[in-house]
Amino acid sequence: MEKIKQNPIVKKIGFNRLVLICVMILMYLMFGAVCAMMGRASFFTIKRIFNALNYAYFLGFLALGVTFVIATGGIDFSMGPVMFCSALVSGYCLTQYGVPLALCIVISILVGAVFGMLNGYLVAYWKMPSFITSMASMMLAKGLGSVFTKTQSVSWPQITDPVNGWYRKLVKITVGDATIPTGLIIFAVISIICAILLNNTKAGRYITCLGSNKEAVRLSGVDVRKWEALAYVICSMLAGVAAIFYVGSYSVVQPGLGDTFNNEAIASCVMGGTSMAGGIASIGGTFIGVMIVALLQEGIRAVGLQIDYQYVVTGAIVLVAVYADIRSRKRRN
Amino acid sequence: MAGNDKKSKNFLVSKIGGQQLIVLGVIVALFAFFCIKSDIFRSYTTILSMLDFSYFVAFMAIGVTFALITGGNDLSIGTGMVCYGIIGGFFVTKLGLPVTVGFVITILCGVLMGCFNGFLVAILELPPFIATLSTMMIARGLGSIVTGGSSITWPADAWFKNIFKISIGEAKYPLGFVWVVLAVTIMTIFLRHTKPGRYIIAIGSNKEATRLSGVNVIKWHMLAYIICGMFTGFAGVAYSATFPTIAAGSGAGLELDAICAAIIGGTSMYGGSGTIFGTLLGVYVMSILKTGLPLIGLQANWQQIITGIVLLVAVFIDVVRGKKN
Amino acid sequence: MGEVILTMKGIDKSFPGVHALDHVDLEIRKGEVLALMGENGAGKSTLMKVLTGIYKKDEGTITYEGKEIEFENPSAAQEAGVIIVHQELNMLSHLTVAQNIFIGREIMKGSMIDDAKMNEEAAKLFKKLNIDIDPAETMGNLTVGKQQMCEIAKAISHEAKVIIFDEPSAALTETEIEELFKIIRDLRDKGMAMVYISHRMDEIKAITDRVTVMRDGTYVGTIITKDSTKDDIINMMVGRVIYEDPKTQSNVPKDAPVVLKVEHLNAGKMVKDVSFELHKGEILGFSGLMGAGRTETARALFGADPKDSGDIYINGQKVDIKSPQDAVKYGIGYLSEDRKRYGVVVGKTVAENTTMATMEKFMKGLFINKKKEDEVAWTHVKALKTKTPTVDTEVVNLSGGNQQKVVIAKWLTRDCDILIFDEPTRGIDIGAKSEIYTLMNELVAQGKSIIMISSEMTEVLRMSDRVIVMCEGRKTGEIDISEATQENIMHMATLRK
Repeated sequence: MEKIKQNPIVKKIGFNRLVLICVMILMYLMFGAVCAMMGRASFFTIKRIFNALNYAYFLGFLALGVTFVIATGGIDFSMGPVMFCSALVSGYCLTQYGVPLALCIVISILVGAVFGMLNGYLVAYWKMPSFITSMASMMLAKGLGSVFTKTQSVSWPQITDPVNGWYRKLVKITVGDATIPTGLIIFAVISIICAILLNNTKAGRYITCLGSNKEAVRLSGVDVRKWEALAYVICSMLAGVAAIFYVGSYSVVQPGLGDTFNNEAIASCVMGGTSMAGGIASIGGTFIGVMIVALLQEGIRAVGLQIDYQYVVTGAIVLVAVYADIRSRKRRN
Repeated sequence: MAGNDKKSKNFLVSKIGGQQLIVLGVIVALFAFFCIKSDIFRSYTTILSMLDFSYFVAFMAIGVTFALITGGNDLSIGTGMVCYGIIGGFFVTKLGLPVTVGFVITILCGVLMGCFNGFLVAILELPPFIATLSTMMIARGLGSIVTGGSSITWPADAWFKNIFKISIGEAKYPLGFVWVVLAVTIMTIFLRHTKPGRYIIAIGSNKEATRLSGVNVIKWHMLAYIICGMFTGFAGVAYSATFPTIAAGSGAGLELDAICAAIIGGTSMYGGSGTIFGTLLGVYVMSILKTGLPLIGLQANWQQIITGIVLLVAVFIDVVRGKKN
Repeated sequence: MGEVILTMKGIDKSFPGVHALDHVDLEIRKGEVLALMGENGAGKSTLMKVLTGIYKKDEGTITYEGKEIEFENPSAAQEAGVIIVHQELNMLSHLTVAQNIFIGREIMKGSMIDDAKMNEEAAKLFKKLNIDIDPAETMGNLTVGKQQMCEIAKAISHEAKVIIFDEPSAALTETEIEELFKIIRDLRDKGMAMVYISHRMDEIKAITDRVTVMRDGTYVGTIITKDSTKDDIINMMVGRVIYEDPKTQSNVPKDAPVVLKVEHLNAGKMVKDVSFELHKGEILGFSGLMGAGRTETARALFGADPKDSGDIYINGQKVDIKSPQDAVKYGIGYLSEDRKRYGVVVGKTVAENTTMATMEKFMKGLFINKKKEDEVAWTHVKALKTKTPTVDTEVVNLSGGNQQKVVIAKWLTRDCDILIFDEPTRGIDIGAKSEIYTLMNELVAQGKSIIMISSEMTEVLRMSDRVIVMCEGRKTGEIDISEATQENIMHMATLRK
């Protein structure tokens, strides 16, 4: 065991992440086996993979974002509803006011940024507890989205729409018979950018350091409030990006929803090795975590279970992951 | 300074507490404001329906006050309440058990979930908010899984609806309010004058010092969550009695109304202080706002925004209060 | 001379890497106050923790009331009547005084707690002890002194036979100490056995009957208080170390420029009208007893805590320091007494900690130049002889002395001209200590200036060019090293106003 852990390639990727990849592959095979045994349609199809990926994109951006917040030792429960609020507001602008699509995408990200600033300001500058603050802004996001669209759901245009259909190409492009998952490429690229941001820039350095020991960082002459607030802004802006990929996959957004995605994003994050106590974060881990949750979602549907099983399973995953995190921290001290 | 303290301690203030008096003032002011602004608000039916919608929130809020006093939280109460109501209703409608048994099952489910939350928080020492967030998701899923995703309609038995709103002749009386007041009284005595209550406050104030005083902190810490779960079970009963049908998977967000009410009422998120009476006052601040604002022109979809803003204000007051101490 | 109630014999305790207690003896008698003295790290607290069951002893015996015992935990010790009144109070600030005193053993009336009766009992207890506190008052509203009285009352109500006071006077005012002493004398007359841990010599003389002195985890000896002088006790405490290598004259030229001038600094209760100057190339020692306000002064100067008033001049220029950011901008670095909380980020690597205050120097465009970061970290690791396998090692894996070196490296990277060393060698073993001393001397030789806060007299006398003494938030003396002696510093450190 120790030998495997010391292997340079394993070290580079990280033992825990390798285990996660194995879990993912096993899960994939298991769902396939169950589908076969129950006489359902095969799980090993391209369509299933694309379904899972559709789910992975928007969830992925949420999870990437919340990784930054958790790295500071905080939490954001508002990102799911903020994503919906972004999609509703920008979608309403698009469909009702004829605002150009490109501008709508910008609006979507801006709406996220506003919520991020609110959360960041309250948590970092006013020292309000992040979980309850973000729950309050979750309510604000749900309510404002609903008020903005007058309680209507919003349907984003289909790919066939000559003017505004192009945004769907962000998710996938069909060339002849082949489908190119552009969304996966974009998600991977943004993941890499996030990893660089977290590991190779001043912002990321300060974000993880202050999650580990805020007072020591402050006494090093660093404006910790600014960097802490930035984590929340990054998180909510990525929720704005997630909104585009959500509608790119599913078209329709209803007001007043989105909070179930919080737990799934947090689950992806914690599973991937980001510590709830702050200071330790892994974008790579989050990436794999997202894929597992997305696969789980598709698998549960494929074997014919209600989506509700997914809530239960992700809830359990968070509990196990957080418990493992606490245990490993206790052992280290 | 000591002189000032003594002076300000007149009988009323010391009996009820400063913040509660202010909240009571806010309630009266809001009530008066809406009465003047809206004819509909003044009607008996409006008041009655406002009370109807307050019972389940009140029970949840009483429960969550205990979790808050330990310095923790319980986010599972909203979806939990609905889940327990659904499970209880499932046994009644699908298996034909008597309604009484359904109630017992509903409350029992709450107690079980309370035990589980207590186990996670007190024994495994998981952060309360993340532990109960997970159980919130689990409760949300479980309720729907039991019914296969469909909603549940409790039988409209006369006696069962009468528990919370009794009709005598033409007139209807808010009997539920009596139960709420009774619960507040009992739990106030429990919190203030019994050992478990005392230890729950002590744990929230300084867990380590309490442990060093030879108190079994794990047991009492768990009990706080069990009480919270039990009252969520009561809330499940009240919810079932108030609404004809319960939709599977709903209830998310209702926990915030209850938490909000408790914090408005003077319970601190940092643990160690809080009163049940204050929580009750908080519940009615929320109820009046939620009933009144739509009547003066703000649509129902503003309700979430109101909850959000009130929660922010309440937490901010709590943070400022915490800094002072 | 009362009868012996508790004896500890040959107590031995080791932690990984530290031999904390080396066959220590202690004898506690009824109707007597025993002082337990020693410098920081002498092992007093460890010994008391072994006694009350917080630590398990490796060797030795504890005999209590004629029977050999070993307490499982503090509750068991409390049960048996051995109670410790902590330096940090273990109180429940939200409950009332009476509720605190009776926590865990409430007086019941049926299934209800009888608060009225508890208030009554507490009032009786206070009356017996001549304490004036309202039992129904909320604990959090009391002053620290009163809270301490409550702790004592709680101990008494537990039918304590042995009470241990761990630095009880650290946070008390003059009158509160007087009250405390009155209570202790009362208790002594009633036959209580007490252990009094303190650094304050005048208190030891005033209140105790015998003094047991410890040094570096060993038992030095026990003397009768009234038959001995302050110097006898000091000599026992410091042993020969005090005469090792004291500085006899300042190394700073008379005309060295003033790099930092602080005028009438006020901050909270612990910093009252403090003024001083720091010269280029000087080590300015800040001496004083625990709670003299030295750390608070440093923190206010550094902008870590808000200050109420006062002016700060750097190189003759008036500056406005509102936050640590400002202080760092003006070239001040602060090494906290509590490294793990305020110094290093333990979960991060040596390299990351080294560059923490100087990120902008390590940027290549938007990105961190990790190669340069590692190089600089290595340079410091070598120069400071930090014992770490690599610069990618997390700081949590290093020893205290090496963690301190990482903090020093952080400020050296920043190239700060003014460094505040707050208890630079606390919790650091002897070898690493002298390395840190050498380093500090090298730094001032390079023209940097150092403010050194230290509670160790040897350290102050060995390192400082000039000594400022504080007592209860005020500067009570300033003295050149050529005139400084242990005695006159001690004298100034106890000058109460």
